Amino acid sequence: MKKKQIAITLGIMCFILTIAISIQLKTVKNSNSTVSVSLTDDKLRDEVLRWKEKYDYAYEQLTESEKELTSVRQDATQNDITDNSKQEQINQNNMLLGNVKVEGPGLQITLADNNVAATTSIDPSSVLVHYDDILQVVNALNNAGAEAISINETRVITTTSITCEGNVIKVNGEKISSPFVIKAIGSQGRLYGSLTMAGGYLDILQSYGVIVETKQVDNITIEKYNGIINYKYVKNN
Amino acid sequence: MEKEKKNKIIMAVIISLVCIILFAIMFMQFKTIEETDITAIENMRESELRTAISEWKGKYEDTQKQLEANYKSIQDYKEKIEKNEETSELIDKDLEESNMLLGKTDVTGEGVIITLTSTEEHPVTYYHLIELVNELRYAGAEAISINDARVVMTEIVDVQGRISVSGQRLASPYVVKAIGNQTYLSSTLSLKDSGFMDRHQASGMNVKLETSKNIKILKYNGELKAKYMKEVKE
Repeated sequence: MKKKQIAITLGIMCFILTIAISIQLKTVKNSNSTVSVSLTDDKLRDEVLRWKEKYDYAYEQLTESEKELTSVRQDATQNDITDNSKQEQINQNNMLLGNVKVEGPGLQITLADNNVAATTSIDPSSVLVHYDDILQVVNALNNAGAEAISINETRVITTTSITCEGNVIKVNGEKISSPFVIKAIGSQGRLYGSLTMAGGYLDILQSYGVIVETKQVDNITIEKYNGIINYKYVKNN
Repeated sequence: MEKEKKNKIIMAVIISLVCIILFAIMFMQFKTIEETDITAIENMRESELRTAISEWKGKYEDTQKQLEANYKSIQDYKEKIEKNEETSELIDKDLEESNMLLGKTDVTGEGVIITLTSTEEHPVTYYHLIELVNELRYAGAEAISINDARVVMTEIVDVQGRISVSGQRLASPYVVKAIGNQTYLSSTLSLKDSGFMDRHQASGMNVKLETSKNIKILKYNGELKAKYMKEVKE
């Protein structure tokens, strides 16, 4: 009687275990596809690199061709005063558009997260730099007549957006992080005067506890825009 | 009697040993399966990689197109130099193109029109406009105007309670026009929770969005000149 009971219990247990193992074996077999996924991943990674290399090379050539175009345009127009002044106008437009590297007097602003205050503050968010703070500062610089602006060496052009995805701030789609160095070329007096004004945006940021530094610089260099300025939807009227 | 007891104990020990081993194997297998759950992340990475490929490919194609256009221009100018011909036609075309990119010309195209009206409880502030312009640019807007004042670099300011854009004083309603891919522009603004329309309609602001096949945006009215900066030639 007792022996029978033991045999039945054992039989049931073995049966359950066998089923469990065979189910798991099946699952494991299915997940074997992971290997092929990482294989295609490697292939894809290679492809990303290949396209990036192709782009980098083409972009280098483009920069060269722009220089050549500027100089050949100058040569071709040197005998005609009207055409030559139009050619200068194009060069001027290129500076304003962000197509070339520029230098001049201006203002350098550094905004940084106040990490020390963040640990003690009641509202840690108020001592950090947010994307809208940068947006406000760039707008204030434009209002003060800035001719060229960059944020952490990324040129701000007429189609630039400043956004955030989670904790990451992006300018022209490129990630940037604190400290934020904002450079602007223009009238030093006007830029400095309107940005450091009492009750101005920098003043407010500083009162919140964000680290703010402003410095007038006689010769600021601002890099060219790292892309192509071209429109697909706008047509001349 | 004694022998029978001994046999029973040995059997019990053997059975429990087997059970322990089997359970151990089961747990090991569970762990392996848990690890293979990373498949989800691997798949996500794959789609990210695919996006990256199409992004670089797109950038490469745009660059290549621009490069060919530049080579053609260089060739055209060189021919003019060789034949000692007038360049006015070529230079006019180039200048017009460059002026268009900067916002010095009137332009047309498809896009969206957003109308913001101030009310007692929900006045439109200059920052609403900065925010909207930024979001439109994020969605790929190529030209933007507010009440026909062209926005080139953002110059939106509050002058004693009145909004001024690009040096022109404006009043409510604010009609913001943007040229770009109208589907992309309107869907970005209408994104649930994060889009401008959804955020501000929820708070009770009077704001409406329409798409249009044919929007006209006037040229920038002020001066666009480089007085302080010089080109760095390398």
